[in-house]
Amino acid sequence: MADQHELDDEIRLDALEFTYDELLAEDPYEEPLFASGVRCHGGYVDGAYVSPRGRVRRPAIANWQQRLRDAGEPLVYVPGRYLPPTYPNYAQAKYLLKEGVTEPITRSLTIISIIEGFGARIRDVPVPDLRKEILEDIAGTALAHLDGGLFEAHARDEAGHRDQGGHKQMWESARDIGLAKPHIPGDVLMRLMTGSSGRGRGERLFPDLSERLEMLITTMANVLVVETFADNTFTWAQQLLGDPEVSADAEAANHMVTCIASDEVPHVDYLTAAISELRARTLISEDGRKELRGKEVVDAIFSRQLRGMATRRPQENRERFREEIHQAIDNKARASMIARRFEDLDSGWTFPHGDDEELDILLETA
Amino acid sequence: MSFRRYFLGRIFERAYRGTRIGYTAVSVWLRYKFPRWWDAYRGRDPDERDMTQIHQRNADQIYATAVSLRGMMVKMCQVIGTRSDIFPPQYVKTLSQCHDALPPRDIDTIRSVIEEDFARPIAEIFTDIEPTPIAAASLAQVHGATLTDGRKVAVKVQYPDIEHIIRTDLTVSRRVAAIYSRFDRNPMDFLPLLDELQRHLRMELDFRREVESAERIRELFKNDPTVVIPSIYPEYSTRRVITMEYVRGVKVNDKKALETAGVQMQGYMTRLMRIFNRMILAYGFFHADPHPGNILVNPDADGRPVFTLLDFGLAKQLPEGFGLGIFELMFSMMTFNETAMLRAFDELGFETQTGEKETYLAIARRMISRSESGTFQGEFTEEMTDGMFDAIRENPVVTVPTDFVLVARAFALLSGIAHSLDQRANALDALGPG
Ligand SMILES: Nc1ncnc2c1ncn2[C@@H]1O[C@H](COP(=O)(O)OP(=O)(O)O)[C@@H](O)[C@H]1O
Ligand SMILES: [Fe+2]
Ligand SMILES: [Fe+2]
Repeated sequence: MADQHELDDEIRLDALEFTYDELLAEDPYEEPLFASGVRCHGGYVDGAYVSPRGRVRRPAIANWQQRLRDAGEPLVYVPGRYLPPTYPNYAQAKYLLKEGVTEPITRSLTIISIIEGFGARIRDVPVPDLRKEILEDIAGTALAHLDGGLFEAHARDEAGHRDQGGHKQMWESARDIGLAKPHIPGDVLMRLMTGSSGRGRGERLFPDLSERLEMLITTMANVLVVETFADNTFTWAQQLLGDPEVSADAEAANHMVTCIASDEVPHVDYLTAAISELRARTLISEDGRKELRGKEVVDAIFSRQLRGMATRRPQENRERFREEIHQAIDNKARASMIARRFEDLDSGWTFPHGDDEELDILLETA
Repeated sequence: MSFRRYFLGRIFERAYRGTRIGYTAVSVWLRYKFPRWWDAYRGRDPDERDMTQIHQRNADQIYATAVSLRGMMVKMCQVIGTRSDIFPPQYVKTLSQCHDALPPRDIDTIRSVIEEDFARPIAEIFTDIEPTPIAAASLAQVHGATLTDGRKVAVKVQYPDIEHIIRTDLTVSRRVAAIYSRFDRNPMDFLPLLDELQRHLRMELDFRREVESAERIRELFKNDPTVVIPSIYPEYSTRRVITMEYVRGVKVNDKKALETAGVQMQGYMTRLMRIFNRMILAYGFFHADPHPGNILVNPDADGRPVFTLLDFGLAKQLPEGFGLGIFELMFSMMTFNETAMLRAFDELGFETQTGEKETYLAIARRMISRSESGTFQGEFTEEMTDGMFDAIRENPVVTVPTDFVLVARAFALLSGIAHSLDQRANALDALGPG
């Protein structure tokens, strides 16, 4: 406890510089979180769930964002109309569960848990020497702390660390609670491996920049888009697994998803801060001779990633799900009947922009 | 040949083979026992002695016997070469070379097998068959040939007497093992290994099975432009002969030749790992022998590598959920989550006699500690697999599922390929959607 008091003294209200250990520091939990008997991260304070590694990280991110606002810089933001709805939607998924067709839903939830786990790869993203590749000072920014604890904390949140499970285990638990420990279909990894990532071909948009810097921006834009899309997934899972008509334990399953959703908030927030900081600065080309406006670079990369992911993914999901319904039901006539009703419940969705004009995502700033 | 001469010939051969195998076995055994007796006599602790040299000398002798006797001895070497969970590294390294060191049989022997199996003169099938084989191995050798319609093919032909030789060798080995177990006070039980060998051999001797395996893998990759499985001509294939499309290409780990051929090296290993992930982790039926001789590479129109898989003699079906279990093991090792590691070991079918779990953790910790960075990022390097198998050998209470051994070996072989190209064979990196 002595450490924690010291820590308290150190976080000043307006602090902008933090050590690696500080950004990973935990709140004083009264009780840990257990997911289906598996010890997970985070825990309870005064009976309420508090996300992991937030003791310093939470105020730190708020301070970096405030600094941008104070400087009149917009914070990047993806408006709701660009977010594809979860497929299948709540009504469709509920219909399948009511018909006893659990397998496709189990598969989706399992794939979500694995993909969350892969979020740990963010700690392997090489961070270039930003002080050299950015013209202005970056002291006291989220950017300066990416490899100084932010990526690591994010990685641990997603994949778990040592004896504490992370979102991977928490999603598994939500699935097992809600669907009463369903059989995991043997083809989940096959499904994970086939299909495109929706990330586009990854061609360089700004070959003047160092490859590392462009990769870093692309990765952060990607992850931010994914994390923003996840909002719909959380709502969907809370509705579905929290629905007593189809869930084996609506309250517990819903709570687990709510915990995951609250853990994602700092991810969206620090990425928003870092990307917005980049946008407000000037980038230096690899040969040191050119200067590029951060706004142009970030907006171009961000739009490409958003469009790619928002269009390809839902379409693939649709095609795949149709197959899975037929695969899960032996009786052909019944399968066709269920598939037809399932399609009737589809809410449909297309990306609002048909052409390549610059998206106005960044104009609608928070 | 009269029946009598034939019969005597066989008896003589059996006696000769029996003597050679027996002699080798006795030398090997004495080389282990004698120093222990000597140490005990001199009052030293025999367990302190460095065994590497003795292992090496024994492995060399077994290797020499195998190369001269071929047949099952070679096959046994290959199996030993794949069982690093049981045998010390000196054996594994030395005996896995058996494969490439065999003098080929003459072309007439090969022709006679083809004519016997097709019950036709060879000229009705091939207009031309190259007298010098492309490769010779334990059970078969491969020749370039031309079909009567002009297509260039590779023909894999089984040695004619191989079944008989193997039967003899198995009998002899069983007898040697039985005698050995009477002399040694703490005998190592070779019989299960011989049983496994016999199962393997029965499978591998029927080439139609190899063809079936190849077809299954072809089906899996039918929409994947990064993999080629050579076409097989079923009408020219039998139990002992496989006729395939002749494939040219660069050896998968030949850095210079790959560069000369203009193969793009960026993302090279990730592409290859995706192929094996797809078989091992996702599909559950895999080519279990990805040593460099079995993978050829050609560049596609954009210079990206296309991999040709050869030799489906060792293809393995994994139980349902096994791939997911391997994934969970790798994942828990990446996050140092020991509870999850234990669950994964359990799911994969590891067992301890005493039921205690600490041994598994010791194994996992040992593996992780052998990696370059002291963390596991998704690559089973050879050093890590060696570390794991050292730990397993030292903890005889652990039963390792054979499937796991084969998978770990496949990943270690891939890691070996990666290292000769200064790349990494990271299985976790190559698992997402392409
Ligand atoms: N279709 C083919 N085209 C060209 N070369 C081949 C072909 N099949 C086999 N080979 C050559 O023959 C060697 C041995 O064949 P393989 O099937 O691996 O036999 P074994 O099972 O005895 O190892 C290979 O390493 C390769 O060099
Ligand atoms: Fe997450
Ligand atoms: Fe996240």
